[in-house]
Amino acid sequence: MENVKIPVAHITIVVYWLKDLLEEVVQKGLSEGASFCEVRYFEERSSSIGVENGIARALSSGILRGVGVRVIVGGHWGFASTNIPTRQSVEKALEDAMGGARSIMAYTGEEAKIVEVKPSVDTVVHDVKINPEDVSPEEKVKRVLELEKDARTFSDRVKDTFISYRDVVTRVIVCNSFGTFLEEVTPRTVMYCRVIAKEGENMQESFEALGNVAGYELIDGVNVEDFSLKAAKRAVRLLTAHPPPRGTYPVVVDPRVGGLFVHEAIGHNSEGDLVFSGQSIISDKMHQKIASRFVTIIDDPTKRSYGHFTYDHEGIKAKPHVLIKDGVLVGFLHSLESAAKLSGEPEGSARAQSHHYPPIVRMSNTYLAPGDMTLEEILEGIDCGVYLSGSQYGYVESQKGQFTCKVEEAWLIEKGELTEHLRDVAISGLTLEALKNIVAVGKDLRMEMPGMCGKSGQGMYVDAGAPHFRIDGIVVGGRR
Amino acid sequence: MAKLDLIGPVEKAMRMLSLFDVDFYDVVASYSRSLNISILGKGIKEATSHVDVGIGVRVFKNKGMGIAFSQSLEDNDIEIIVKRAVRFARVSQPDPYFKGIPGPSKVPEIPGLCDDEIVNLTLESVSQIPKGMIEAAESIRRGAMYSGGFAASHVKAYLMTSTGVSVGLEKTHASAYIQPVYREGDDVGSSYEFDYGTSLSNINPHWIGRRAAEKAIEQFGSKKIKSGFMPLILLPEASGDSLFFNLLAALSGESAAKGRTFASGLLNKQIGPENLEVLDDGTIPGAVASSTYDGEGVPKKPLKVVEKGTVLTFLHNSYSAGIMNVESTGHAIRGGYGGYVGAGPSNIRVKPGDSTLEEMIAETKRGILVTRASFTPNIVSGEFSATIDEGFLIEDSEKKHPVKNLMAGGHILNLFRDIELISKEGRVFGGGHFFPAVKIREVKLSGF
Repeated sequence: MENVKIPVAHITIVVYWLKDLLEEVVQKGLSEGASFCEVRYFEERSSSIGVENGIARALSSGILRGVGVRVIVGGHWGFASTNIPTRQSVEKALEDAMGGARSIMAYTGEEAKIVEVKPSVDTVVHDVKINPEDVSPEEKVKRVLELEKDARTFSDRVKDTFISYRDVVTRVIVCNSFGTFLEEVTPRTVMYCRVIAKEGENMQESFEALGNVAGYELIDGVNVEDFSLKAAKRAVRLLTAHPPPRGTYPVVVDPRVGGLFVHEAIGHNSEGDLVFSGQSIISDKMHQKIASRFVTIIDDPTKRSYGHFTYDHEGIKAKPHVLIKDGVLVGFLHSLESAAKLSGEPEGSARAQSHHYPPIVRMSNTYLAPGDMTLEEILEGIDCGVYLSGSQYGYVESQKGQFTCKVEEAWLIEKGELTEHLRDVAISGLTLEALKNIVAVGKDLRMEMPGMCGKSGQGMYVDAGAPHFRIDGIVVGGRR
Repeated sequence: MAKLDLIGPVEKAMRMLSLFDVDFYDVVASYSRSLNISILGKGIKEATSHVDVGIGVRVFKNKGMGIAFSQSLEDNDIEIIVKRAVRFARVSQPDPYFKGIPGPSKVPEIPGLCDDEIVNLTLESVSQIPKGMIEAAESIRRGAMYSGGFAASHVKAYLMTSTGVSVGLEKTHASAYIQPVYREGDDVGSSYEFDYGTSLSNINPHWIGRRAAEKAIEQFGSKKIKSGFMPLILLPEASGDSLFFNLLAALSGESAAKGRTFASGLLNKQIGPENLEVLDDGTIPGAVASSTYDGEGVPKKPLKVVEKGTVLTFLHNSYSAGIMNVESTGHAIRGGYGGYVGAGPSNIRVKPGDSTLEEMIAETKRGILVTRASFTPNIVSGEFSATIDEGFLIEDSEKKHPVKNLMAGGHILNLFRDIELISKEGRVFGGGHFFPAVKIREVKLSGF
């Protein structure tokens, strides 16, 4: 099957006058006293389907669009946005952004400064095999119902099944006073499955997620064994699982828990804006050994996973970023501002949820690089530990470096073997301790955590992964 | 922009929808203007403002639902979303639980939800608030790095339905928080304080800044402690997040009515001590979670949810009420113009008990004073395993050092069952929620 471009013809006409408008507003910002001016157009068209217990209850679609204007005036940031991409509204947003910056000029605070960069002029349209907008809602409903049915009919202990499907095309145009005029159109398709199993009064649930920078081919080609059926089997399996033990254990994490750990424990701490503002536990640790020699962590927006993009929302071409190399902290993720304040290079890590938000430093696809061990070798030698599988959610207090990861299921490890099945397990740790306690890393790297990461009120597309690996001395929150 | 016409576009969509062969529909349009001054690093970092408008349409045909929304109120965009929602409603399938959408009711007046000072606010006029928080924190101890900010918003919305509902709402909101981070070598002292309300007068930047700095300094010298069984004293910030929000969320909407939460089977069952009473009241004047009507146009009214430790009711929107053949309790929540309508609590008010915090600590030989935690349970099973984000060891009836890397685990209903004491003092949040401190007899803790 040949790849196709997401058709943008119906708004290409808009782009010609939009280009003039955005460039003129940038010039107006400079002429009125801004030392930097950025005008960013954002548009997102989405379509979704919600299926519950064999019924496609709701179909929906939405269109978000607008313009965000960001300026530096007198060493202070100002930002304003509008939903209405007319000259009058965008110029009013410029006026509000300039006024905002001036409103805080009287206060000493965090100075706005950025690195000078060469302009980017480019158009990127990520290709797909099947454009979701070419597939009828009836056909999408039929396919989602097929996937849901396999989960629903797996066992009489399956109480409820849900699948939510969403396709979204995001179009971002960045125009700034460096001369950048950058346009990127990114299609994403994602699907979540949730299954509730019940036996007597005992209820358990399980989730699966599937998503990428891709078109409808992602859904067309999905294997139920890897998606809805997998969630159903796990939900039923959890009915007979036991509460976890409590205390400190060596743990072995699967690629999903490993991805969550990498994202929460180290990824957020590597974000340049948290570093320069003293909010990261590793702010003063550059070039120091902060992890064991088995640890190399990379954030790679160029990898075709859910967090993939070619240019960030400041118009910087994205590159892979090595954060930790063989245990040594070697890099942070940067925006134009954090690069200026930390003497770094901006390599494409600033993104914004929509036109209503300024770009901030975000992770993309973050992972622990593979080692050379098999899972069996990693489990060997553990007399009593916990194997953790499947991630639900996590969070970190970057200031203290204390993280929490909630996982879907677990097994006790006894003498190197997986024994008792466990449920409702969470782990807590301290970043700087946990990184040094990674003592074995597998070779089976997988990225399979498509989702949204929340930071400063903004949600952003990300992915994360890892091979299996072992961390010693992790607190397991247990109930016995 | 505050004079933006929302009724015109809503009526236009309603007229278009009336031409289609559909069963029910509703249209909501909203406008919001937000101002924000952020604090990061050494102080004030950025001033931002945004204006958001949008319109959303829900259409029902043969018990199937179609939704479409747009951020444009232009005629042609309204036509596009109307046609799309109608098409989607026809493609979607009959939901046997759907019984219609609510009709009109008399909407009460609730004073104090809209503050003219916020409506007319400029960034220049509010930059004193973040500055005040920083100065107050510096007056306690200098040298912190900060995160935080101040935000204010003005929201207007208009809802019309095919069943005759036609209601408008105007509200304001202001919030402020600051988190100082102090470092002494590798030891970190960090915490935060916040407040929010419907008017600017609800925000006291000096109190927020001072409290945040005092709490941050108290966090120096945190230590790990051993695993064990111990009593927990949850301060109001932790009791609200760990107990009451979780319980009322699990009693809300279709998940509760369809037997999908740990609270689905709790109607008329005793879950806590006789002195446990929880009221949900969306009619409190000047409270952030108050409103004249819910997301479907049903008037808000006070609802006793727990009395004498016994659960009396679920919190319903029209859909979940239809499942149980009862009336909606006015707890529909509509996420802006995006279309989906869920259900959830408004102002949660827990009846004060008769203990003081000092008595709770004095009666504790060894336990944990939890100042910040959110014991979010598995909503289906009720089991939780969560980090105590901030807390202190209590030993021999005295508050000792802060703890770190400590987790609590158990079943959320066991926390309610084991409530030993409820304080007579507490904290009001957002002008409406009231949470006391709560002592739990014994909880399983995981440390080293």
